[in-house]
Amino acid sequence: MYAFDFEKPTTVAEAVAALADDEAQPLSGGQTLIPTLKQRLAMPSKLVSLTGIAEMQGVCTNDAGQLCIGGATPHAVVAAEAASKYPALSALASNIGDPAVRNRGTIGGSVANNDPAACYPSAVLASGATVVTNNREIAADDYFQGLFSTALEEGEIITEVRFPVPQAANYQKFVQPASRFALVGVFVAKFADGVRVAVTGASNDGVFRWTEAEKALSANFSPDALNGLSVSADGMIGDLHGTPEYRAHLIAVMTKRAVAAAS
Amino acid sequence: MKDHFTMDSPQPRLLDETKQGVIGTPMDRPDGPRKVSGTADYTADHAPDGMAHGVLVRATIARGRITGMDRDTVLGIDGVIDVITDPRMIRNPAQGMAGSAPVQTGDEVHYHGQPIALVVAETFEAARDAAQRLTVHYHAEAAAVSPETTPDTETDDPVTAGDFDSSWSAAEVQIDRAYTTPSQAAAAMEPHAAIADWQGDHVTLRSALQMVRFNKAELADTLGIDPSKVRILAPFVGGGFGSKLGLGPEAAAAAIAAQKLGRPVRVVMTRQTVFDTVLRRSETAQRVRLGATKDGRITAISHDDRVSNIDGEGFAEPVSQASQFLYGADGLSFTQTVARIAATPAGSVRAPGEAVGMLAFEAAIDELADALGMDPLELRLKNLPEKHPIDGRPYSARRLADCLTEGAARFGWADRWQAGTRREGDWLIGIGMASAARSNMLVKSSARVRLTGDQAIVETDMTDIGTGTYAILAQITAEMLGLPAANVTVRLGDSDLPGASGSGGSFGANSAGSAVFLAARKLRAEIAERLGCDAEGLTLQNGQARGDNREAALTELVSEEILAEATIQKGKTAKSHFSSGFGAHFAEVAVNEWTGEIRVRRMLGVMSMGRILNEKTARSQALGGMIWGIGAALTEEMQSDPRDGHIVTRDLANYHVPAHADVPGDMQVVFLEERDDWANPIQTKGIGELGISGAGAAVINAISHATSKRAYDYPVLPDRMVALLEG
Ligand SMILES: Cc1cc2nc3c(=O)[nH]c(=O)nc-3n(C[C@H](O)[C@H](O)[C@H](O)COP(=O)(O)OP(=O)(O)OC[C@H]3O[C@@H](n4cnc5c(N)ncnc54)[C@H](O)[C@@H]3O)c2cc1C
Repeated sequence: MYAFDFEKPTTVAEAVAALADDEAQPLSGGQTLIPTLKQRLAMPSKLVSLTGIAEMQGVCTNDAGQLCIGGATPHAVVAAEAASKYPALSALASNIGDPAVRNRGTIGGSVANNDPAACYPSAVLASGATVVTNNREIAADDYFQGLFSTALEEGEIITEVRFPVPQAANYQKFVQPASRFALVGVFVAKFADGVRVAVTGASNDGVFRWTEAEKALSANFSPDALNGLSVSADGMIGDLHGTPEYRAHLIAVMTKRAVAAAS
Repeated sequence: MKDHFTMDSPQPRLLDETKQGVIGTPMDRPDGPRKVSGTADYTADHAPDGMAHGVLVRATIARGRITGMDRDTVLGIDGVIDVITDPRMIRNPAQGMAGSAPVQTGDEVHYHGQPIALVVAETFEAARDAAQRLTVHYHAEAAAVSPETTPDTETDDPVTAGDFDSSWSAAEVQIDRAYTTPSQAAAAMEPHAAIADWQGDHVTLRSALQMVRFNKAELADTLGIDPSKVRILAPFVGGGFGSKLGLGPEAAAAAIAAQKLGRPVRVVMTRQTVFDTVLRRSETAQRVRLGATKDGRITAISHDDRVSNIDGEGFAEPVSQASQFLYGADGLSFTQTVARIAATPAGSVRAPGEAVGMLAFEAAIDELADALGMDPLELRLKNLPEKHPIDGRPYSARRLADCLTEGAARFGWADRWQAGTRREGDWLIGIGMASAARSNMLVKSSARVRLTGDQAIVETDMTDIGTGTYAILAQITAEMLGLPAANVTVRLGDSDLPGASGSGGSFGANSAGSAVFLAARKLRAEIAERLGCDAEGLTLQNGQARGDNREAALTELVSEEILAEATIQKGKTAKSHFSSGFGAHFAEVAVNEWTGEIRVRRMLGVMSMGRILNEKTARSQALGGMIWGIGAALTEEMQSDPRDGHIVTRDLANYHVPAHADVPGDMQVVFLEERDDWANPIQTKGIGELGISGAGAAVINAISHATSKRAYDYPVLPDRMVALLEG
């Protein structure tokens, strides 16, 4: 780890100001950033902690019935608070990493980082959620832009993520046995106007929507509707933990399981 | 009193006559409370006054020469003391029982990850910082890093008996299959560590090592000093599995740095460095050919393999070791090829040979049974040879048939169903079995036992690497001297004590245990004399000596310390008889037909491994071995960059050893009563590695039974399983 300065503001405005410095970087739960620093893969001059900002904490429901989660809310809080309002999201949060990761790691950090094997991006994309920052609102479909890249600008902070709550939903995660990240994760969300299916862990381009499955499931929300559908192995991740063919195969399996569990 | 004993003939079973009743019992480890309370002192727990911290700098090319290092850029870092390079530094750990310095390369680089310098600093953090920042300049050379493509291979003359070629071509049923297994890591919990400290021209090295007697000679040779000037301390070692058999680069570097700086230096490897520089198990490519008559008599056996190692290392994974003596045939042939590559050197890793060789060989036996339409258990029982098939020696003690039948009865083998016909939801269920075999050895060992009244002290440089040495040596002594085990203090892991075999090849308990037994036997003779009876007529129990109608307390007979030292070495029985542990492994698995996940649901190992010295520690050893079998069959795979041989699975997240969730709750071990009179005077055999040998094959065979598909590339990872199911 290289040396850095540290600030812990208490408002979003102060945080944005602190981040104006060259080479400054936000720090939330630190579950991704601290290991990155330890491996000397990043060298920020200053870390600006977001965990002391009250307005970025907690889970509530807005007038439109959307579940609003503060950007610095830890996974464990989401698991507890969303349990009755959005059970599939709560279940996803309760199965991220281990207790230490869940009590430190935050939704904003996960969504900002956009790790191709992370869980939250699939929920954000499948729910058609809105990523709220210090100066704008970004629709999920515009937000994720490939492996570790997002629509966020330099110094921009995720202050909240707003989830429309679907009629039925489920997240199925095939865990990589050692890291317990998603080898393949599929989030299925059924809304009045159709079904959305988002896949994480599988693609070289990060989280994506499986539109073919969405169409079939919008017509008939049952596992059988997926019979005969498959995803091509082209562009899927091949690594120590699974071949591209295996990941493509798992997408279909996990989607069926998610639909079966949701219906 | 020094006794030198050579194992030339079977010895009386004295431990069956003694009366203390502590031998064989599941006694708790005397060192257990210290371990669980964190007071057992492992190497890196020590921090002598004035100690500096060293971090190894490692090469980032596969082969070439170091042309320079930008030392000045890191010497300015606060706390950095020196960047040390030295022609005495070693390329890799010594092979087990080498007793001499490993290859010393000077400024040459032989593999990616090779230690090339040591940065020493006042703090670990400063040393690591400087080690990572140090720029090294190389003259790189082209090097072959893959055993498939290297032009440099050596093929041994085959080991043969009978005429394999004619038996094979005449065979009515033939199985000819190719298998692969990847490189594996020993993956001991405690990372390799060393602290060196000089007093004048004497060096004391604390290091996580398995074989102190050999390691002392290795360090002396490495430094070019007389062995009498070296002391090694390894009282507690956090697992070794072969990886700590030989003196390592961290120990050589610590000793060299401490000498140069005139202060103690500690070097602890990071997990990544352990993966890069500690000897790996070679990957293997194997070919098994089995020929049989239609009624299931095996007539031809061949098991050929290709393994790899770096130039200059004599070790080659002995893949076909057990295949050479498990079953008989008219013609047998075994050929080994060693591919020379510029990659992390290979050496002994938990049950070298059997651990990977039996995966393939016992799977092929299963496939032969299928081809014959025979029960695999019956095929094995039918083909047990009378004598060692290659050299004709009789077996010393072999209850393989009993292990197979006893295991079958306990496991419910008779209820075995047709392959591929049982499912529970998405899970396909199967059972499988395999024989277990691991040859047994006796290695020269010395020990001293001191007795004062009813208190005894055992002294030997033998190590306890988590295996239970402290427990069993206390039990042997207590049994022989008629004392409660709590009255025996065991001192280990100090090269100033009598030299033992060390822990390796599962021969530690036999060898060091026999030396302790012989020393204690000497003391019994002395006690008998003092009591005035024959040694044969002496009974020792709870501190009382009895014989010839006389009785006295040891506290009266031995008011001042008496002491005996004994050395044992192998002799004529090693030539006249072939000693090996045998057993049978059974496993039940569930294979998910959609995801290819494989869950082991239960396992049973029935083993005959000579006299059991401690039922609890023996069971732990056997269970641990069976878990390594699960690892080899299902999870463990080391991978390296095909361009430069750099190992990429360098931590326990990417190199997955079975975790609790991978191991079924229903793991059973049964020991059959056995005494190996030809092995040693305590009639024991090696334990730890037998648990591994064949265990993975039982899992592999269960997968075939569940799915009707055979895997030939191990481990059977989920993606491989799905590809097989879809294929
Ligand atoms: C052992 C382990 C297991 C894990 N398993 C899983 C898993 O199964 N599934 C899963 O999804 N994740 C998993 N994670 C990742 C975990 O969820 C992380 O917490 C998360 O990815 C990052 O959140 P954080 O709050 O820790 O962010 P940090 O590490 O603090 O930051 C991550 C990145 O986001 C930036 N950032 C942080 N907050 C914001 C914000 N509000 N606005 C803009 N940028 C921001 C930071 O600058 C940094 O670049 C695991 C992590 C570990 C260590």
